[in-house]
Amino acid sequence: MLSKRSEKGLILSSVVIASMLFVYWLVYNPVKDIHASVPGMDNRPEQSESTEKILIGEGFDFFSEFTSSLTGKWTQFRGANSDNISKDNTKLISSWGAAPKIDWQVELGEGHAAPVVYNGKVYVLDYDEVKKADALRCFSLETGEELWRRWYRVHIKRNHGMSRTVPAINDKYLVTMGPRCHVMCTDPTTGEFLWGLDLVKDYMSEIPFWYTGQCPILDNNVVILAPGGKSLLIAVDCTTGKVLWETPNPDNWQMSHSSVMPMTLDGKKMWVYAAVGGIVGVAAEGDDAGQILWKTKEFSPSVVAPSPVVLKNGKIFMTAGYGAGSILFQVKKKGNAYEVETIQQFKPKDGVASEQQTPIVYKDRMFAILPKDAGGMRNRFVCCDPNDCTKIVWTSGTNDRFGLGPYIIADGKFFILKDDGTLTIAKASTEKFELLDKTKVLDGHDAWGPLVIVDGRLLMRDAKHLLCIDVRAN
Amino acid sequence: MKKDRRDFINTCFRFAAGAGIVGIAGVLAVKSQKGDFLWQLDPSKCTQCGRCATSCVVTPSAVKCIHVYDMCGYCDLCGGYFRPNVKNLSTGAENQLCPTGAIKRSYVEDPFFKYEIIDELCIGCGKCVKGCGAFGNGSLQLQVSHDLCVNCNQCAIASDCPSDAFSRVPIDQAYKFAGFKSNKKI
Repeated sequence: MLSKRSEKGLILSSVVIASMLFVYWLVYNPVKDIHASVPGMDNRPEQSESTEKILIGEGFDFFSEFTSSLTGKWTQFRGANSDNISKDNTKLISSWGAAPKIDWQVELGEGHAAPVVYNGKVYVLDYDEVKKADALRCFSLETGEELWRRWYRVHIKRNHGMSRTVPAINDKYLVTMGPRCHVMCTDPTTGEFLWGLDLVKDYMSEIPFWYTGQCPILDNNVVILAPGGKSLLIAVDCTTGKVLWETPNPDNWQMSHSSVMPMTLDGKKMWVYAAVGGIVGVAAEGDDAGQILWKTKEFSPSVVAPSPVVLKNGKIFMTAGYGAGSILFQVKKKGNAYEVETIQQFKPKDGVASEQQTPIVYKDRMFAILPKDAGGMRNRFVCCDPNDCTKIVWTSGTNDRFGLGPYIIADGKFFILKDDGTLTIAKASTEKFELLDKTKVLDGHDAWGPLVIVDGRLLMRDAKHLLCIDVRAN
Repeated sequence: MKKDRRDFINTCFRFAAGAGIVGIAGVLAVKSQKGDFLWQLDPSKCTQCGRCATSCVVTPSAVKCIHVYDMCGYCDLCGGYFRPNVKNLSTGAENQLCPTGAIKRSYVEDPFFKYEIIDELCIGCGKCVKGCGAFGNGSLQLQVSHDLCVNCNQCAIASDCPSDAFSRVPIDQAYKFAGFKSNKKI
């Protein structure tokens, strides 16, 4: 038996030790080395409004007079029918022979902007890195000689290229959209500045990552634009520069790199736009012009580069890169309203998808280059039935893989540009991939700008050069 | 010829000494060979399956993500840093792809951001590598970090690697990352 004194001492010692342990337990912080990841740790500064004063169309340089007998036209992104199929009747080559016949080549500012062609003139919205200006440049299709240049100073930092849009043109108007959402309308013959719009200032547009990729669409002297921000879509009268209608943007969807595409369903003409946030159909004409007819949020990746592919029977195929995959949905009229029904939605390894370029529909088949996250079929050129986009009919095989480059159909042939500058000709077959010939045209990189074929000439670009290749058969 | 006991013992000793010398030479040769070669993974074969994080005998794994800066686009929307389809490009944990927060993002100038790998936190899972490859230039790549690797005779990850991306490389070419400048540790 312990003495009472010893017992007390023992109890006291136990209490002291327990108290010390309790204090230690209270003070000890086992997670002192763990830091919470909270917003703001990257020291991103608050966004401030740009104080840069931009005078759209402020400068003009005239270089040379011009006459041409050429009458070919490629009037906007994906051509007049928005299908990326050249209607040029010229018989085109099936092989490159000893080497491609390069008519001319000019240096451009770094970017992916592609040209339009109208009656022997080539127009491209370039970025002049010396002058630090968006520059609408006009060249002769036959010689490559620069005829004039309309420009305005705007500061653009190199960010995976600077320019990346295609103008829209008709007899009287030429409309461009610059990297920072500056819209400019000029006279295509004289280069005279007509009017300008700053979508960031006027519509609170958010400039997409890597700058604007949206290309304006011209429809009977009315230009259709998708600013996002304050208005989802707007229509501007080219004659006056006045806004004809504005589409409300209740969900605050933002501008994407996608362009507005036309669609007609049950006799109703509408504009289809894939914004960052969702896809929308907007009435193109009539009393409800500019009003939203239908919309879907089923497909809303944070980066959208391809444009909607309008199929038969109200079906629309939409795809995007960076793991987003694709969606096939159908718009149906029910009474006075429209309904959207998703038919298929899948990841890139499970069907047709595309990262940058918009697929082509030809002879009831759809063609695309699969993105790099498409598993074993990555970067292959593929064909599918657009009614079931998960079933690949054929691929270009393991040896013929492409990158992010463009493709076009002309004279029953595919012209496919790999982003390293290799140009492939293949028969536009729905049965199998039939390679005709391929050649390395240039040692460039990032050859992503859309191709144009008109008057037997193929216009292509890499990050820094625009080339004109004579592809006439004789 | 009949050997006597003395000759027999001498012969045995000679054999034993010879076998010993050969054995020692062999062991030294193997050891010296092991010292001249290291395990490394080829980023062009890697499919970012995630096994590097779990198969390595070292915890956390000796495989780390490295950043090849001369390939990086310094994007605001970085596919290696952000989860797919994030709406808010901030450093909030809910937006980050890395399960251990091992990538430090810092503002450079509008619109560029720098991304640094914190080696101590990286577990080599390859999620950022996959995101960068799918979205960007592929500047984030997995490599065996030789200051952590114990250079096992048979690498446990190499045995588990489904794409046969591991091989022994000469010590003077210890890193195999793909990029504009190769075979140089960042």
